[in-house]
Parts: sequence; C-alpha cells; structure tokens
Amino acid sequence: MRIIAAGLRSTVQDRGRFAHLREAVPPSGPADPLAFAAANALVGNGPEAAAIEIVGAPFVFACDDRRVVAVTGRDVRVQVRDRLDGWTAVFVRAGMEVRVLTGERSRFTYLAVSGGVATEPVLSSRATYLPAGFGRALRAGDALPLGPSRVDPARAGRSLVPTEYQDEGVRAITGPHAERFTEEARAVFFSSTFHVDAASDRMATRLTGARVAAPKDEILTCGVIAGAVQIPAGGAPIVLLAEHQATGGYPLIATVIAVDIGRVAQRSPGEPLRFARVEREVALAALRDERRALAEIA
Amino acid sequence: MTSAIHAFGESALLVEIGEGIDDAHVARARAVADGWEALGHGLAVPTYTSVLLRYDPFTLDPRLAEREAGRLVETATPAPAASFRTIEIPTTYEGPDLEETAERSHLAVDELIALHADRDYRVFFLGFLPGFAYCGTLDPRIAAPRLARPREHVPAGAVAIADGQTGVYPFDSPGGWRLIGRTELAMFDPSHAPAALVRAGDRVRFVRR
Repeated sequence: MRIIAAGLRSTVQDRGRFAHLREAVPPSGPADPLAFAAANALVGNGPEAAAIEIVGAPFVFACDDRRVVAVTGRDVRVQVRDRLDGWTAVFVRAGMEVRVLTGERSRFTYLAVSGGVATEPVLSSRATYLPAGFGRALRAGDALPLGPSRVDPARAGRSLVPTEYQDEGVRAITGPHAERFTEEARAVFFSSTFHVDAASDRMATRLTGARVAAPKDEILTCGVIAGAVQIPAGGAPIVLLAEHQATGGYPLIATVIAVDIGRVAQRSPGEPLRFARVEREVALAALRDERRALAEIA
Repeated sequence: MTSAIHAFGESALLVEIGEGIDDAHVARARAVADGWEALGHGLAVPTYTSVLLRYDPFTLDPRLAEREAGRLVETATPAPAASFRTIEIPTTYEGPDLEETAERSHLAVDELIALHADRDYRVFFLGFLPGFAYCGTLDPRIAAPRLARPREHVPAGAVAIADGQTGVYPFDSPGGWRLIGRTELAMFDPSHAPAALVRAGDRVRFVRR
C-alpha cells in the first residue's frame, strides 16, 4: 500500500511484543486493543496481523491490488467514493484513493487491510516502538508491503457495533496493592470524576481532579500490565496503556478491565472519566462476549 | 516466609514473596517466573520481591492459576549461581553528576570511583527501558537518591547510580539517576539473540578505563 498522507504520528502495530518483557521491552501494540482487533476481524485477518494506528488527520492511501479495508476507533468514517461508516468492511479496487476521516474526538484510529501489513518484524513483532527505534512513524510516500489476501467481496458491508466511547464510566477490578491504600483513598478513587490530562499518550492516560492518597510506604518496582492504575505520591491517577514500561514503581489501586482499556485511551484531554468497581467475573464475561463477537465476524 | 497472590486484572496475577531488596528474594522471584513459563501458562516478569504472572483465563481458570502460583512459590528452586555469568562493563568515569555526588557523600571523586568500580553487582531484573538492568547493591558510602529533577535527555551508554543501585542507560531517554560515567558497550541490540547484554541473575563489574 502507498501512503499519500500519513497524519501526525501514525505507526504500524500488531497486538504487541509480549515475548521480551523480561528484557524490559514494552509490549507496545494498539492503545485501543479492541478497536484494533475489530478492524482486523472485519477484513478477515487473524488476530496476529499488523494494522495501522493513525494519530492525527489526514490519512490517505491506495493499494496496488484490490483489498478489503476497515477503519475503527472513535468517531471515524472512511471515504472511497462516498463517505462510509467506520467499523464496516469496505471493498477497495486497485489504485483507488482511500481517505480515513476522523472527528474532533478521535484519538487513536485503526486501519486494517486484508492480508495485513507485512513490514519486517523486530524481535518477532511488527509493533512500532519509537524510543528504541523499532519501526518509525509513517510518512507520505511510504510503500508498505501487504500480506497475501483472498479478497472476498461478500465481506464488504459487514460491520461491528462501535465501542460506546461517549460514556465516561469505565470498569475496574481492585488492584494488586489495593489493600495498602486506606479505605478512604479507595472510596475517593471509585467515586470521583477525574479529567484527562493533556500529557496523556500511548504510554498512559494521566488524570487530574480528586487526589487519591498514596500509601505511606513506598512499594518496590513490580511488573505491570496495560489497564493498571498507578497512584504516585501526588495522588493523580495514571492508567497504563500499550506502551507502558515492563515494570513500574507506583502503588496499583485498580486495574481497568481489558474490554474498557480502549475507552480510557480514547478519552480526549479535558474529558471526564470515572471508575466503577466490578468483580473479576464481570471482566471475564465481558471479554468472552467481545471475543465471541469478533469470532462471528472473522 | 510471607507470600501473597493478588489478582491483577482478569488475565494476570501479582505474586509477592517477601519484603526488601536482597539476593535470595530476587532469585526466588526469578525461579517462580521460570517455573510459570516452563509450565506454558504464560509470560512472567520477576522483579525484586514479586512476580507478574500472565495467563489466558479461557484456558487456565483464574482460581486454578492462583493455586498453581501458590504451589510454585512453595516449590520453585532458584537456579544455581554457576549458571550466571559475570559481564565486564568498560567505563569511563566522566559524568555530569560525578562531582556533586562525591561531594554529598563527603568523598573525593577518585574515592567514589574506587567504591563503584571493580566489584560485582547482581543484576536484579531488567526494567524501565529495553536492556536496562537494575544492579546492586552499592557500597552504602556512595548510596544517593535520584535527582530531584529528572533530566529530559540522558545519552545512551550513561553509567548511573541511584537508591543504592547502578545501571547503564541503553538508549537516549529521560532519566533521574545520577550520571557518573559512560560505556561504549551496547546494552541492547535487537539483531542479537538475546537482545539484552545482561540477564537477570548475572553479575556485572564496571572496569575503569
């Protein structure tokens, strides 16, 4: 595929580089894993396929042969001849110019192309990680190799229900260090409305608002995962996202459930965010439902 | 020994196996991580006194995962010390924090260098950036806290100390440790297998040049 316009900071991502966590390589991968998986499923790719995470508009491309494409994310559409909805498989002929349309609220937009992006893997993954020079931000004029694709025109028009991004509530399980916080601190955390700070990125969504009292004793650095909510000494929560470091040294009060991580990542600076406490069974049931929905379309 | 197993989201556990930084805890954490991975349950990340255990809740029920983790904490045996290497890191002791750090420890620069170089440090684990090894522990006479204001730019190869530990920045990055030297050695090279120069459990020795 040829990139005609690359947006602000668009990168190739696969589901993440998990095999090298013990060498402190961040997993990377999509900030909104569910939207990413949906885009791949819509075009008939397997879950291991690489796609493009788009940040900033405009993103325009064309393919040298016919392909099925899908655009997912918050407040997204796609224009081939006509404007079409996001979260829908679109059939694209060779050479046709495709424009990814984003809205004011879009943060991370996913573009999957049938066959998948077939850039050279680094440490067994195609996930871009800029600080270590694994891949780079895409530029206009780039030509990306695609994997072989059996294009099934019948797939065009299939769609998935977009994630509900407007809702300010996200679900979270109590975190591994929850017991170290006071009852009051936990109550503040699970009852306050926070706001997203402008310093948020692929590494973490940073929140402002109510101060959550951190435990008096420092904790020793431990391994962390996307969705983990850290409370540094200042009391402003940090929700870790795909590009998080393999380890972290702040106490973990809660963990956002897997299916809601993308809804945290896609909040724009200034937007509200609240945490609703749920049990692990709820998280598992939600994840099972998501996987089933993707399996049905794939 | 006190240990605790906590749910960490729906597809991970955090196992805590003790308090405080010491060789025995680190070795035990690593043994639990190795055991978990050998069983094929998923990837594990050991640090000082805890282990992150990842798993697929649809192939391993979370309650079963917790029982398995508890069993490993009881039975995992640390690898023999002989299975680890000693890696020498040629170091030029020149860094922007060298003088100030010596001063605050009431030492001459050469005394600080002599207390840092030519001794073996254990690699506790890798974290922060690809290939960044947390090594310790330092002679208490040169222990110093992190900088109050982290630097926005630390060059790759910077040899640093903080909080009783030492390490080498593998990439240009922000950083809050005190920079006392530099090395030409590549700490991380994705074209090599393994990509990281040192592994948890190895010993490193800074050799003055």
